[in-house]
Amino acid sequence: MTATLTVAVWKGDADGGFVEHDVPQRANQTVLDVVSHIQRELDPALSYRFACRVGMCGSCAMRVNGVSRWTCRTHVDKVARDGRLTIQPLANLPIVKDLVTDMAPFFDKWERAEGPFVPSETRPADDDFAVVEPAGKQRSWADAAQECIGCGVCYSSCDVVSWNPEYLGPAALNRAWVQMNDERDGGRPARLRAVSGDAGCHACHSQQSCTLRCPMELDPASSIAGLKRLSFKAALRGKL
Amino acid sequence: MKEITTDILVLGSGGAGLLAALHAKQAAPDLSVTIAVKGLLGKCGCTRMVQGGYNVALAPTDSTERHFMDTLNGGKWLNNQDVAWTLVEQAQVRIRELENVYGCFFDRNADGTVHQKAFAGQTFDRTVHRGDLTGIEIISRLAEQTWATGVDRLEEHRAVALIRNESGDALAGVLMIDIRSGEYVFCRARAVMLGTGGGPTMYKYHTPSGDKSCDGLAMALAAGLALRDMEMVQFHPTGLLAGEHTRMTGTVLEEGLRGAGGYLFNGDGERFMERYDERGERATRDIVSRGIFSEIQAGRATPNGGAYIYMAHLGPDKVRAQFKGMVKRCADCGFDLAGERVEVIPTAHYMMGGVVFDERCFTSLPGLFVAGEDAGGVHGANRLGGNGVANSTVFGGIAGDTMAAWVDRAAPLAEPSQAELEAAVAHCERPFQHSSESLQPIREALYDLMWEKVGIAREETAMHAALDELDVLAGRLRGVGVDASSRAYNVTWHDWLNLASLITVSRAITEAALARRESRGAHFRSDFPEMDEDQAKTFTVVRAEGERLVAGREPVQYTRLMPGESLLVEDATADEPMPLADAPGPGTSTA
Repeated sequence: MTATLTVAVWKGDADGGFVEHDVPQRANQTVLDVVSHIQRELDPALSYRFACRVGMCGSCAMRVNGVSRWTCRTHVDKVARDGRLTIQPLANLPIVKDLVTDMAPFFDKWERAEGPFVPSETRPADDDFAVVEPAGKQRSWADAAQECIGCGVCYSSCDVVSWNPEYLGPAALNRAWVQMNDERDGGRPARLRAVSGDAGCHACHSQQSCTLRCPMELDPASSIAGLKRLSFKAALRGKL
Repeated sequence: MKEITTDILVLGSGGAGLLAALHAKQAAPDLSVTIAVKGLLGKCGCTRMVQGGYNVALAPTDSTERHFMDTLNGGKWLNNQDVAWTLVEQAQVRIRELENVYGCFFDRNADGTVHQKAFAGQTFDRTVHRGDLTGIEIISRLAEQTWATGVDRLEEHRAVALIRNESGDALAGVLMIDIRSGEYVFCRARAVMLGTGGGPTMYKYHTPSGDKSCDGLAMALAAGLALRDMEMVQFHPTGLLAGEHTRMTGTVLEEGLRGAGGYLFNGDGERFMERYDERGERATRDIVSRGIFSEIQAGRATPNGGAYIYMAHLGPDKVRAQFKGMVKRCADCGFDLAGERVEVIPTAHYMMGGVVFDERCFTSLPGLFVAGEDAGGVHGANRLGGNGVANSTVFGGIAGDTMAAWVDRAAPLAEPSQAELEAAVAHCERPFQHSSESLQPIREALYDLMWEKVGIAREETAMHAALDELDVLAGRLRGVGVDASSRAYNVTWHDWLNLASLITVSRAITEAALARRESRGAHFRSDFPEMDEDQAKTFTVVRAEGERLVAGREPVQYTRLMPGESLLVEDATADEPMPLADAPGPGTSTA
């Protein structure tokens, strides 16, 4: 195969622009391979971030032809249009340089949503594992939302984050939902308060871009809907 | 150069680094603890990529002793028995801590108790897991806790040299590059833990995360530390083979595919594994890797130079259901694992070797501690699947506790050796003295050389040639320049530094592989294909002497058991009662 891809890559910071390169198209080629080829052979100053190469670390997400994706697991054939690719950094995050964003705001919100597990005071470190039946309703909900890799694709795809930079965003709220359904967790009342504020779950307009784009096929929109239900119930009981 | 100061500096944010930071901060909240990592915290390195799980003896019918025996048998008795015992004993503490304190949630049985699955090479089903994405669960939960704990974070800070004091008898701090700004940062610290992880990415086919480049081991050699067991590089038999131009090549297709009854075919379409082992495709990792390698050597390779894995005879729908993650990964990359042949190749996976250390994570350099894949001796000549993440989390936590107790806040910080600082900066500056060129020819030459000459089957003459070629490559790298238009997030500069580390550690592997003139565990010599009981009694040690690396051998200390002995009652002969609860059994002996 001797076909050539025309690839426009973002260079610079928020005020930067696109630079075009011709990249040989191959049989087995991901978007990350295209970016790596440009850096290795065409523009050694191109900045991008990746790590695991197999969709586990969530470091290499970018916008490809306008859509946020994990680039290591996105085959060129699936996304190239007329032999063209446009590659930009994720939206809704500050650009460090070229294709690299500063993900600190994304993870700060994860913490503001009280995502981290809070150990139960009744369960010492050396206690045996809690007995948790996998078929239970809460555990099933938690399981369905648990395998987030923190790639930022949902956050970059979310219109509400674009409109309201304070909004906690789908990943942080999805994480909070997991812990609200974790019967081992000792921090649930405080977490529910943290996600019930103006920038929390009620800010979601249910546009579902997060669910549409999640590469792990999670459903953050449903997680957020779950938090809304919990929040309403708690408010009715005067417990928020 | 920017200077910062901390009490405890942790390098790396895998299982070892995060546990070390969390434990140090918990044990000594008034000490400043800083974690520096080459990528984003918890998002780079290899613990995150653990699929299999966490070996730990929990069931009433399992035992610490049984896990210990499996670990020694897997390691072909080269292990440091004291650190191996600490691994199996403390894994039972750490796994409960991961669940109860940090919030990891591992898979349960239907009755709500923790599920433990079977994993190769073990006599008991003891592997705790979260589906086949165990590493994501462990690292995500640990990273969250680290953000919430007041540990200082230096993300995208790459360590380049361990800097000793003026007299060279203790560590003073670590020279780093802030990847985002390109600025040098010297971090003075009272204690430093090396937890950057090994990762044999000098081989053409490799599984570790793409950011890995053996920096920790290269820095340890430069600081005068000894590395043991460096010849022991574990290959996984079935890495994806998709061409040289794609980063997908080398990534693991899981072991369970063969376990479930998957076939391997050579390029002529023959099933070949039964020629090498009566268990066929279900033979151990090292045997299957050598089988595939032999077919390739015999000219029976697939178009891309490997073998095929084939699952469809088991029923494509069944395969899709049982190996959902693997099938989807292959599909994303354009392959139909459930219905068609997929090309595979043995791929370098894990380094058993590393810095000599003890069960409290001390090294020979005061102020430097080590844990995880950078540390050597736990696994001996081969590692059991599921002992890797147990190793990093167990010893990371221990290192954190040890450093918190060891640091003397009243003592003055050591003054760094200016000569060492200058030499380290000069090394990093070197590529800016030449005009920019592609690094790809050097990278490919290194990949090919290590794969062909120091890979799955090794031989004296080829390895001597490899040493010469590595010297040539080091010289070529010194003459290649990197684009100097901006140092900010200059990926190519870091590629250059990665290659420098990899060439150094490749030399260490080759020297150690030459020194072991027998085959044992992961190390196979085609000129010495048998095990040799005399050489079984020593482990290899590689040190830097000036510009050279020199391999020596040191006796294995049988502190708990002599080869052939067992701690298990069922292994005992009738007239030879075994020590179990009574000393001098494990858990009571040795400091």
